Amino acid sequence: MTGYARRRMLRAMLSAATLQVGESGLVDDVDGTDTTALRLLEMGLVSGTSITLIKAAPTGDPLQFRVRGFHLSLRKAEAHRVRLQKASE
Amino acid sequence: MRVAVAGNPNVGKTSLFNQLTGARHSVGNYPGMTVEQREGTLASRWGDARYQIIDLPGTYSLSPVSEDEAVAFRCLHGGPGISPPDAVVLVLDATNLARNLYFALQVLELGLPTVVALNMVDAAKQAGLHIDAAALEKALGVRVVPTVARTGTGVDALVEALADPGPGPTLDYPDVAAETLAKLEEHGASPARARWLLCSEAADTVALTGATEAESSALASIGRDVCWVAARSIIAARYDRVEGLLRTLALGDALESAPAMKGSERVDAVLTHPVLGLAAFIAAMALVFVSIYSWADPLVGLIEDAFDGLSGAITEALGPGLLTELLTDGLIAGVGNVLVFVPQIAMLFLFLGLLEDSGYLARAAFLLDRLMSRLGLHGRAFIPLLSGYACAIPAIMGTRTISSWKDRVVTMLMIPYMSCSARLPIYALIIGALFVSTPDDAWISPSVDRGLLLLSMYLLSTVSALAIGYLYKRTILASPTPPLVLELPPYRVPRLRNTLSVVMDKTLAFIKGAGTVILAFTIVLWAVLSFPRDETGAGGEGPTKIEASYGGRVAKSMEPLVEPIGQDWRVGIGILGSFAAREVLVSTLGLAYGMEADDEDPVQLRQAMREDVDEAGNPVHTRLSGLALMVFFVYACQCMSTVAVVKRETRGWKWPAFMFVSMTVIAYVAALLVFQIGRALGF
Ligand SMILES: Nc1nc2c(ncn2[C@@H]2O[C@H](COP(=O)(O)OP(=O)(O)OP(=O)(O)O)[C@@H](O)[C@H]2O)c(=O)[nH]1
Repeated sequence: MTGYARRRMLRAMLSAATLQVGESGLVDDVDGTDTTALRLLEMGLVSGTSITLIKAAPTGDPLQFRVRGFHLSLRKAEAHRVRLQKASE
Repeated sequence: MRVAVAGNPNVGKTSLFNQLTGARHSVGNYPGMTVEQREGTLASRWGDARYQIIDLPGTYSLSPVSEDEAVAFRCLHGGPGISPPDAVVLVLDATNLARNLYFALQVLELGLPTVVALNMVDAAKQAGLHIDAAALEKALGVRVVPTVARTGTGVDALVEALADPGPGPTLDYPDVAAETLAKLEEHGASPARARWLLCSEAADTVALTGATEAESSALASIGRDVCWVAARSIIAARYDRVEGLLRTLALGDALESAPAMKGSERVDAVLTHPVLGLAAFIAAMALVFVSIYSWADPLVGLIEDAFDGLSGAITEALGPGLLTELLTDGLIAGVGNVLVFVPQIAMLFLFLGLLEDSGYLARAAFLLDRLMSRLGLHGRAFIPLLSGYACAIPAIMGTRTISSWKDRVVTMLMIPYMSCSARLPIYALIIGALFVSTPDDAWISPSVDRGLLLLSMYLLSTVSALAIGYLYKRTILASPTPPLVLELPPYRVPRLRNTLSVVMDKTLAFIKGAGTVILAFTIVLWAVLSFPRDETGAGGEGPTKIEASYGGRVAKSMEPLVEPIGQDWRVGIGILGSFAAREVLVSTLGLAYGMEADDEDPVQLRQAMREDVDEAGNPVHTRLSGLALMVFFVYACQCMSTVAVVKRETRGWKWPAFMFVSMTVIAYVAALLVFQIGRALGF
């Protein structure tokens, strides 16, 4: 898949990186099978967890989230891997 | 009895450890401050119970994916040659239970006798969170003691509970991934161990767990895909349990909005604001460096005067002679000239300590992460790099939080470029000696000018470190851009008293370094520079006393090597000596000038350097040669301890050797360029 197509596909999917500042969503799953995926899951980004985007750093990356009562900073690349459930209010 | 203190990062383990043992380890409001296990004995005020207290690195999980977690895992779990601790103090952050309880479950799965220290209850109360310790005790099945590790509240009760921690808890998830786990349990792994092995296999980090051969081959036959399915269900089952606990504590929704972070969010509105935040960062850094210079300067002057007075008094009392020379030219000139910079080093430690304890460092990492990711660097590399300003050794150990090996090595290779506190005396000497200006010809004002020059040396070192990282990341250690997964802790008011005592410790450690390595070096150098004795007493024409000495002759013959970078033979000896430790440069120069100066009239080193002239009457040290020397020291790897610690962390000579050779070559070339280009331009 070309980088462009991949990026379009990612944007079309709901992920923690597609949230607007102040918006919340419910985690569906974390993509991938590597150390980072395990780390994200163990930090509490398991299915059904609510996640809110608080702000983005000056140039839009990384992002700062509120999840399970603490603040977590993720680069966009990681945030894209945190897929969200469709029906978020 | 061995008691391990375990918990998530930044929950107050080290503070509690210090309370329990009476030790003073540096606490920092940054996840991952402790990367090594530390041991101490229970302070005597709790009677003579023989408790060995072990402070573990804070980790989010016990499935080890990076070196610091592996340390915690191996200690709690035991293994070949390590027996598990007799009891565990599980430290939980009362303001952050929703995540802390995940780790708590893992510790309880171990089945070791456990006492929970429900820490930060003061902060929880402030945030309006009421945590029912008794209910938590009942739900977890182990003793729970509310504590405030910062002040020591509740520590008595904790020690009391430790005397009788009760039996280890039993915790299991009967139906979760049972089939896969059974395949490991066949090989003797306990259910708890089997769960971690599965998660590590999923993350491909089994090597860190110390799995037996039978376990490894069982994991391989299960396959990573199956391990992943199992790992996901194990993690989900634990978080289900956590949700249940929170409901029992009637905390379900109270935590959602992160009440303990409310104040921090307001501060962050400014400090991580796109414009204001960057401005604040730059202002903070500039303030640190300018104030290091201008606030410490009067103190430096006082110390200089005191040492001059001391050597004057000794000369007077003992009269001229070999012993007097040893004392004044060897001891006082050498060590004194390093101690003179202690105020500046202490200030650097103080500022970094305060920033760290306040929680600001994690914000700085957040603000500047775009830069790091553009360069392909690991998000977690930022803080070790920044602490490299104080000292490369703890900084290199701090890279243990980086899970990918290549990224860790890149960071280790970058850190020695960051200007550590041992370079400060050198910059300070050169700037103080050669870059003096009067209020009239100053750019802004004399001390601000010098502070800015100092700042620019730090900037050069920072930019160089980043450039080196960028280069290595694309060449010898190429790998994909790693992630940033960083918790931003709440801001906390740093405790000046604690920070000051840590500053004291670190400064004393520096002085001890000066007292041993440098003292020994200075005396050897003094001898090399004083013999053979010049008995003719001629003076006048011919080589000066020091030039005729053994050391002087060697140095003179080496002069062609340092001449191209604008230095004379005295600096040459200094550079040679400073390969053991940078500070030696200053003490050697002190020695060289102290010895040449007239005994009756000891001159201060800075003044002596400034006024030194060659045969033709031109100054030996110009601003340009000073700049070249500083640039040399920005790049040179002149610290045997750094080389040793890199060898230990990388388990081999390859990387330390590479680091040493490359840095030395870069240092020489850079100094050469500065001096030759500067001269060609007519400076
Ligand atoms: N309000 C409050 N602050 C605390 C308490 N205990 C510790 N702190 C602060 O929390 C921060 C972290 O403390 P540390 O003792 O370094 O935490 P740690 O768990 O050892 O952290 P790591 O070394 O990263 O694992 C420091 O700023 C402490 O001053 C407490 O009971 N109440």
